[in-house]
Amino acid sequence: MSSRTALRTAYDDRSYTRGESVERAEVGALVRSAVDGDAAAWKALVEGLGPLVWSVVRAHRLSDADGHEVYQTVWFRFAQHLGRIREPDKAGSWLASTARNECLKTLRSLSRLTVTDDPQLLDRVSEDGTPEQSLLDSEEAAAHSERVRRLWQEFDQLGDRCRRLLRVLMASPPPSYQEVSAALGVAVGSIGPLRQRCLRRLRARLDARGTS
Amino acid sequence: MTDDDRGDRDGSGAGGFEDVEDSSDFGEVEDGLLEEELRQAAAALDPVPEALRQLALDAYALYDLDARVAELTFDSLLDSLPVRGAGDVPRMLTFQVGELSVDVEVGGDGLMGQVLPPQPARIEVLSGPGPGASLTADELGRFTGAPPPVGPFALRLHTGGDVVVTEWLRA
Repeated sequence: MSSRTALRTAYDDRSYTRGESVERAEVGALVRSAVDGDAAAWKALVEGLGPLVWSVVRAHRLSDADGHEVYQTVWFRFAQHLGRIREPDKAGSWLASTARNECLKTLRSLSRLTVTDDPQLLDRVSEDGTPEQSLLDSEEAAAHSERVRRLWQEFDQLGDRCRRLLRVLMASPPPSYQEVSAALGVAVGSIGPLRQRCLRRLRARLDARGTS
Repeated sequence: MTDDDRGDRDGSGAGGFEDVEDSSDFGEVEDGLLEEELRQAAAALDPVPEALRQLALDAYALYDLDARVAELTFDSLLDSLPVRGAGDVPRMLTFQVGELSVDVEVGGDGLMGQVLPPQPARIEVLSGPGPGASLTADELGRFTGAPPPVGPFALRLHTGGDVVVTEWLRA
């Protein structure tokens, strides 16, 4: 129960207005500082937008090897284009759409090679990716981590469209709808309704398993 | 739509409430909570791998205002028809900036290419923020190198007083 209360508090602390959170408003300023040679600004961009890029890669279900290369390529290209980014405020969207394009290119070249049995495509969550050990220190925490595991399992079994959308939405800090749109190639206006439908579908699955 | 219909069937036993429009604040808050829970789950179960985080930090070294970026204008992976039964056909790439173009062929035994208009150049084959293997283009702009790049790569060309870097892409 208390973990749920903690979640509620964490959520209430941040703005409901997507894309206008403090973190995102800073992106343009950080890009401009990085252009001027501020390495700390670059670091803040990597910390703030890296999870979004990773989410886009994961949403497309690439193999680990492909995913890692796409992630690197996106950041190398971002560094390369840094001084030429036309709209610094939209750097998140730039990264998201660059990641999407690289993912699609990878998937296209894979289908061309007719690779049918890449075992890495099958199982996403590795065993060493379990929640931090400290979480397991009490029974309550154990129950919490069990819930997290089931949540992840149900999420992973959603239909492609919902799984992809939610994987991008759950980047931290939360991406703006413009960024989600760039990451998935869907209209900004369709994200809200689809998000609602997918989250409620996920909750229904959890309820059906009696884990909520 | 179709790929999500599975979820409908799975959820039907629980009373199919999930698709009922619920515009109340309560529904919104619940949605937000579940999304936040997913965010925490992702942070715990599927975070950015540390090695990748470090590589992205190091990538700042690739920021170079003095270099011109030659953009990819042709990629046989995308712009040509698939070749049936021939997995070892070299990949053809063309990069362009201003009047300068670089044609590159990446094959199993290495890479070869030409700088146009023809001119000598020193070429670095980059695979990341660090220094890369060095090649030389002759007076006709032709160059060859081995082994072929693996993973992300870019070519940095020094021609006259000019530095040109090709857009990063995956080999």
